Amino acid sequence: MGVRFAFAGGREGWIRATLTAVGVGLGVALLLLTTAIPNALAQRHDRGDARTDITYQETPIPKAADTLLVGSAGTTFRDMDIRGRLLEPEGPRAPLPPGLDEFPAVGEMVVSPALRKVLESADGKLLRERLPDRITGTVSQDGLVDPSELTFFRGGADLAARGIDGGTIARIDRFGDPQPSTERTDPVLLLLILVVFVVLLMPVAVFIAAAVRFGGERRDRRLAALRLVGSDSRSTRRIAAGEALAGAVLGLLLGAGFFLAGRQLAGSIVVWRVSVFPSDLNPSPALVLLVGLAVPAASVLVTLFALRRVVIEPLGVVRTAKPARRRLWWRLLLPLAGLAMLYPMVGQGRDGGDFNQYLVVGGVIMLLVGVTTLLPWIVEAVVGRLGGGGVAWQLAVRRLQLSSGMAARMVNGIAVAVAGAIALQMLFAGVESDYTKDTGYDVTRAQMQVTIREEVPLGQASEKFRQTEGVREVYAYSEGYVGERRKDAQLTSQVTVGDCASLREVAHLPSCRDGDVFTVRGADYDTDTAKIAKTGRTLYFDTSFTNGPKGAEIPWVLPSELKRAQARTDPTGWKRGGLLLTPKAVPAAAAPALDGQLYLGLDETVPDVADRVRNTAAAMDSLSEPMVWHSAEQTDRFTAIRTGLFVGAACVLALIGASLLVSQLEQLRERKKLLSSLVAFGTRRRTLSLSVLWQTAIPIALGLLLASVVGLTLGAVLLRMTDTTVRVDWPSVLSMTGFGAAVVLVVTLLSLPPLLRLMRPDGLRTE
Amino acid sequence: MTAPAGSLLTADALRKAYGPTVALDGAEFSIHAGEVVAVMGPSGSGKSTLLHCLAGIVTPDSGSITYNGREMATMNDAQRSALRRSEFGFVFQFGQLVPELTCVENVALPLRLNGASRKAAEQAALTWMERLEVDDLRKKRPGEVSGGQGQRVAVARSLVTDPRVLFADEPTGALDSYNGERVMELLTDAARSTNAAVVLVTHEARVAAYSDREIVVRDGKSRDMERVV
Repeated sequence: MGVRFAFAGGREGWIRATLTAVGVGLGVALLLLTTAIPNALAQRHDRGDARTDITYQETPIPKAADTLLVGSAGTTFRDMDIRGRLLEPEGPRAPLPPGLDEFPAVGEMVVSPALRKVLESADGKLLRERLPDRITGTVSQDGLVDPSELTFFRGGADLAARGIDGGTIARIDRFGDPQPSTERTDPVLLLLILVVFVVLLMPVAVFIAAAVRFGGERRDRRLAALRLVGSDSRSTRRIAAGEALAGAVLGLLLGAGFFLAGRQLAGSIVVWRVSVFPSDLNPSPALVLLVGLAVPAASVLVTLFALRRVVIEPLGVVRTAKPARRRLWWRLLLPLAGLAMLYPMVGQGRDGGDFNQYLVVGGVIMLLVGVTTLLPWIVEAVVGRLGGGGVAWQLAVRRLQLSSGMAARMVNGIAVAVAGAIALQMLFAGVESDYTKDTGYDVTRAQMQVTIREEVPLGQASEKFRQTEGVREVYAYSEGYVGERRKDAQLTSQVTVGDCASLREVAHLPSCRDGDVFTVRGADYDTDTAKIAKTGRTLYFDTSFTNGPKGAEIPWVLPSELKRAQARTDPTGWKRGGLLLTPKAVPAAAAPALDGQLYLGLDETVPDVADRVRNTAAAMDSLSEPMVWHSAEQTDRFTAIRTGLFVGAACVLALIGASLLVSQLEQLRERKKLLSSLVAFGTRRRTLSLSVLWQTAIPIALGLLLASVVGLTLGAVLLRMTDTTVRVDWPSVLSMTGFGAAVVLVVTLLSLPPLLRLMRPDGLRTE
Repeated sequence: MTAPAGSLLTADALRKAYGPTVALDGAEFSIHAGEVVAVMGPSGSGKSTLLHCLAGIVTPDSGSITYNGREMATMNDAQRSALRRSEFGFVFQFGQLVPELTCVENVALPLRLNGASRKAAEQAALTWMERLEVDDLRKKRPGEVSGGQGQRVAVARSLVTDPRVLFADEPTGALDSYNGERVMELLTDAARSTNAAVVLVTHEARVAAYSDREIVVRDGKSRDMERVV
């Protein structure tokens, strides 16, 4: 009978069943998506591992018919990282990288589909200058971690001449990581991951619970009528369960459909630079089974729980009498239980301490579920005390007084999401300093760094960068080391060569002219210079070491006049020591033993200035990787978790927005005749629109207030757990609540056109 | 048709179609102040559509409606709404009381929509509730009163603004004969005492018996029974 109720009832019955099914379906799709994420991440990781090439090898591989030289030629375009490799097969059996059918010849390039798109766009003109090779093929899925990855393989030549160091150039006979890492996740990061998952999944669960109650008021009245004509409590419950089950099963089917459609769509969507191949989104069968069983079971439980009033007080339900007051005591138990579960872990987060995963997940769930149990009571208690105001206010308040449950259910999802997000933001802000390193770079003096190969004369390179549009300053240095003996030097000192202007950026010089040599005092970590910097002493550039490659061992006699310089913080953020040499002081033979470093001050108002610098660098050396300086950088894992939160939060908020819209429309549809009759006797549309807005705004305001309190409490507890000072991150709290309010505003705006349509007085025609 | 002299509300050659369904096909109507006119006809004949057109709720496809010498077609939506708020009153078959407001708040609602203060509006509402013998229900919500009581509350709401025209669409359709007759007595007495015209849509002869004149609508066309008789 319940199943019949779900679909019978003509158009209205179908609309109700469809709304429930769509709601449940959206939730199911998101659950399936979430359960597919671990597999998607594993696939990404596996493909990433399978293409590993440049790694440190203890035993160098000799050149053979099955070896390949690989050069790291990655670059950056705007803020997009591009993975790049130069490939030089050394024999006919050289291994092909995953995703390639054949090696590109010199002057040819195989690119990923996403990079091809960038290169072929008008926007990619600057990048095309840097990667001018003819595109001869496309990297297939096997060679990419995700569909939006930018990657290329170019044909290379004479890579061995550059030196096989395992860092920039490597010789390999196979692809794949020979020693895959088994890194243990930091307990605080693990806590973050657990909380992110719970916070993202809870609103989905709340949403599904709300979706199975779409059309709930009318359904309650119908069931209460059945109860009044003799249906006993058990059969009433059975009918309700059957009805909920039918909607949930239809929702499961729709959810599977949404998931499959979304999966196809996922390949073309990039959110915060993350995308996935559709084929990677495969939830494990066990998790699919769990979703398939849990959703119908949850929908039946929620329905039965909501049926109390129908069973106990059917007459009141039929006559839409004011319901009995909600009780507070059991609603407080859940959040208190949540706090009790989390409390024992306070202070365990430091020094590798462990968190009990079950207690963390359980505690966070309890606290967040507490929002959904407390909110209906709070809404009822507050609106019960409201009065006065105009007609719109009166209509809204009276409506909430009579039936606040639906309004609270609508807001529950968003309140849970905001509470969770506030807590997470607090946690992120609190532990951010642990995972964010100050790089020390003085970005006021220089914003980019370029390393120049020894073959390229530094002066020539400097000139090229000076001519690059947007480059204000060029500080050019040649850097190397000298030792006190040819081989196995015990004392070493850094050598920095530059013109007087450049040297003044790294030390306070008394006076300077070309040919001068300075010893630096007051530097960081420099103990040897004072011992070896004696006039007339012979030092050696590029010394050799036992078991190491043989150096050039170029002798250099220190001049009779050594000037003293005082160290100052250089653009890289440290006080360098050693010897400072002006160009004329460097022996000609020593030039190849020095690396060129250029620090560039940029005019950042010039569009794409960093890419112009990269293009200049690439023209001199295709393997150069100019570095853009940032004042701080975060560890990869911390950034990845934060990105995950943003991606997830975007999905959840979109889902909640959709749920709010569906609920809102469903509520309006139920009141169509009443709205029409009110308009018939002259009620202004503005009054009714305002009343609908108040009806949403009051519970939303209360929901956000409660969400802030619970979020701050949870955030404080989580921070105490990680032994971090509790500090409220007010901008996050305000932005999160503002975000929640914005979703409501958008939903209200989207529901206005149907509302105005429903208010047309000809809605009375069905009268 | 030429409107009879002194008509408060007249309609001429009204046509209204909903898609392929023609609801009104040249219907005519007129009513004087203080007159009670019953609009009769079988279900689906177009009588409710005629009432909605006369009240300015629905715009006819063609034809004219004049209220107090003013052509309704020249009024915009806001003006028609204002007219309904201040000059017209409505009673529907199921009362259509706002379920979340108490009975006295429901009766006071049209006055409040006209800008009256809550206190003054509820005071006036109570006067009408007393006249309609439902003042003891003032604090109850519509869900807590019987159908007959609810309909009397709806009649009180329709009269609280002292309307010049009262539109009643099957006002006793959901009531038993006793309650139906009581509601009709109270409604027509109250309307006559205020000289309000009543457009009464019904398909029941015993309800139509409370009117001064009957108009029959069939297939979208109207016939004035007085002229036939």
